[in-house]
Amino acid sequence: MRTLLALAPALLVVLVLWGAGLVGAVRSSLGVSRLTGWSAADLDAYRALADDPVFWESLWFTLRITVIATALSLVVAVALAAVLRRSGVVARLLASVPVPMPHLVAAVLGVLWLGPGGIADRLLGGLPVDLVRDPAGIGIVLVYVYKEAPFLALLVLAAWGPAVAAREEAAAVLGARPLQRLRWVVWPAIRAPLLTGAAVVAAFVIGAFEVPLAIGPTSPQTLSELALSATREASLDGRATASAVLVIASVLAVSVAALAAAGLRRRHE
Amino acid sequence: MGASPGGAVVLRGVDLEIPTGGRLALVGPSGAGKTTLLRVIAGLEPSATGRVEAGGRPLDGLPPHRRPIAMVFQEPRLLPNLDAAENVAFALRAAGVGRRERRARADALLAEVGLDGLGRRGVRGMSGGEQQRIALARALCPDPGLLLLDEPMASVDPDRREGLRRLILRLQAERRVTTLIVTHDRDEAAEMGEAIALMIEGRVVQCDTPRNLFLRPQTPAAARFFGTRNILGGEVVDGVLATEAGPVPAPGPDGPARLAIRAEGIVLDPEGPLEMTVREAVFTGSVLRVRLARGDMRLEARLPPDPSPSPGDAVRVAVAPGAVWRFPDDDAVPAPGPGVLHP
Amino acid sequence: MSERSRLGRAGALVLIALAALLPPLTLLLRAAADEWRSPALLPQRFGTRGVEEAFADASLAGEAIRNSLVVGVIVTLLALVIAWPAARVIGERRLRRPGPVWVLLGLPLLVPPFATGSGLAEWFIRIGIADTLAGLVVAHLVPVLPYVVLILASGFGPDVRDLEEAASVNGAGPLRRLGLVTLPALAPVLAVAALLGFLVSWSQYGLSLAVGGGVPMLPLLLVRRSPPCSAWSSSPRP
Repeated sequence: MRTLLALAPALLVVLVLWGAGLVGAVRSSLGVSRLTGWSAADLDAYRALADDPVFWESLWFTLRITVIATALSLVVAVALAAVLRRSGVVARLLASVPVPMPHLVAAVLGVLWLGPGGIADRLLGGLPVDLVRDPAGIGIVLVYVYKEAPFLALLVLAAWGPAVAAREEAAAVLGARPLQRLRWVVWPAIRAPLLTGAAVVAAFVIGAFEVPLAIGPTSPQTLSELALSATREASLDGRATASAVLVIASVLAVSVAALAAAGLRRRHE
Repeated sequence: MGASPGGAVVLRGVDLEIPTGGRLALVGPSGAGKTTLLRVIAGLEPSATGRVEAGGRPLDGLPPHRRPIAMVFQEPRLLPNLDAAENVAFALRAAGVGRRERRARADALLAEVGLDGLGRRGVRGMSGGEQQRIALARALCPDPGLLLLDEPMASVDPDRREGLRRLILRLQAERRVTTLIVTHDRDEAAEMGEAIALMIEGRVVQCDTPRNLFLRPQTPAAARFFGTRNILGGEVVDGVLATEAGPVPAPGPDGPARLAIRAEGIVLDPEGPLEMTVREAVFTGSVLRVRLARGDMRLEARLPPDPSPSPGDAVRVAVAPGAVWRFPDDDAVPAPGPGVLHP
Repeated sequence: MSERSRLGRAGALVLIALAALLPPLTLLLRAAADEWRSPALLPQRFGTRGVEEAFADASLAGEAIRNSLVVGVIVTLLALVIAWPAARVIGERRLRRPGPVWVLLGLPLLVPPFATGSGLAEWFIRIGIADTLAGLVVAHLVPVLPYVVLILASGFGPDVRDLEEAASVNGAGPLRRLGLVTLPALAPVLAVAALLGFLVSWSQYGLSLAVGGGVPMLPLLLVRRSPPCSAWSSSPRP
């Protein structure tokens, strides 16, 4: 009872505010407003989306960016952690510079470096492919990897401590090669934090629009960008469409996390 | 060989040799470099100079997984995500052996270490003793050319240590696996080693049979480690060293000498040549530890519990001639030889 | 370690240092450059034009920074207070089934903040806190509070409990215990939680746009005034 009481303030604030936000979004996606009331609820906005090729293109684009950016960040994060765990505080601090950097700043940096006439362009004397505003979204992915890989690496490092190093030594003496040690000793230890972090990253990539807005193509847009443009139409229909897109993005984000959680539990048993 | 992990020289001039199938105990105070030596042998630590060989094959420069060596650490270091049998068979898995054969060999080994039928159990819930048995089975599984044991009793409950000691001895005898065991406990070293190498401050100061190390340590430091604190210095004249308390019989030629006297060789004797005062008498369970003094001269004796002298008593003591030996002269200390089992 | 792998590691460390330091440095250079035309790797002319332009509308930039600061600080303090009891219960593992609590705290971090924000905006308009600093503070609690709870929880545990018990056995009352034992013991975690909470609020874009589009906040201003895609063109004068 006392534990519940202690949990109450935080959980209630989260539940009420977040719940209100979600209910509000669902409500307006169903076309309900203060004027019309719940009786006017319909699925028109969703139906319109289902018929709109722009939406499907945006959904596909969002998913592709999310999967590629998350997967690349994971790989880079493990490599980064492998280097950092034998390094001192300075190296760790340096590597975590991008973690507190706002995404918007990272995106501006992305444009400065990768854009036409940017630093990379000048250094290499011409880039072979467009990285900024390119329809494939390579620039978006690169900015996300720069931002998220260090974040994931820090999570990995926290789990890849002396106890794991001790087991790695034991495995090495028993004849396990470096890759075998990574697979059988390190991976089981870092899997849970890594997958949890990956779910957070994937959910963020699905929902945020700072980076695609700054460095991504004008078309296709990510789901959140799509919602933003719809909001700007300022009509009641636009609002409903925007909310519907956001509800879909929310469902996607939560599904990704649920998938990760299910994966974690399955391997645990 | 020499090794200097992290800049500090930890090992210098260590030279050990274990005959195939033999059992050498490496003993010394903590910080002597014993664990570092094991890690250098296993390839976990680089050695600045020196060579490691197994059966005439040089191992230097080989990474740990390419050396025919297995190791049991102070802690079990089992993999928590695998069951007991897969932990035991880990080396086979790394070598690409199939699952069925791994299981069969792991189950057989588990039976040998007294954990019959526990193969499918997770290792998380097991006691420290059980985990260390699994670690032992895991090290034996690949039939290593050399088995390194780094204080394997350290993480085990005191009342379980005896069982683990006997298990190690039995398996070692059955399999004739060449074994190097590290301990900081001299009694354990005597029990576990056919020979003992004493290591102090990164040097092997003496490598000998347990009997010789206990009864005839060759340096004051070795004597102190093996429990002899009675160390005297002076001029031997006519086979006797004159001390403040009286004459002590000294073997060897006349001249300057450093002597050690085993505590067990000092007895209370009303006719004895030495006059001393009892400083302290403590009953330690089986014997009476008595500290004696006269001027700057100090002796420690282990006496039968009765009769017990009291602090302040003036007593006469005698020294059995067989309990006295002479350290070699400083410049004549022979280089510590390789670990020889039957000198 | 072999010579080759040591070289590889040194190379990797140099790469990390470059990746960490060079990009922020270019940002500074860009801000201090009056002229930086391709293909030069360094600006041709340094000057204060960039800074001047940023503050051309000094009142707006100043207000945005001030708003972001105020909201960030208030949200962080609020979140620390609200999170404290819950973090303690979670950190000391007093929950028999922590699963639901984790899920509840995790969901707001997963759902896009723009979605939560646009939903909240509806209600905020009704109760009259849309486009106000108060509304922004309330909205920012949604992403900030879970982070603060999760980090703060990692600081509580048997160690802190033992210290507190020792203090109370030695006659320290609840207040002195808090001031002399608990807070100092938690100081590092507290600092991390506060820093992260503030940063989450400071860089919040979608949420602020949704519930307070009319209030100048730093991230909003950044996008509106000079869209990042124009980072290389000199900003257009109004």
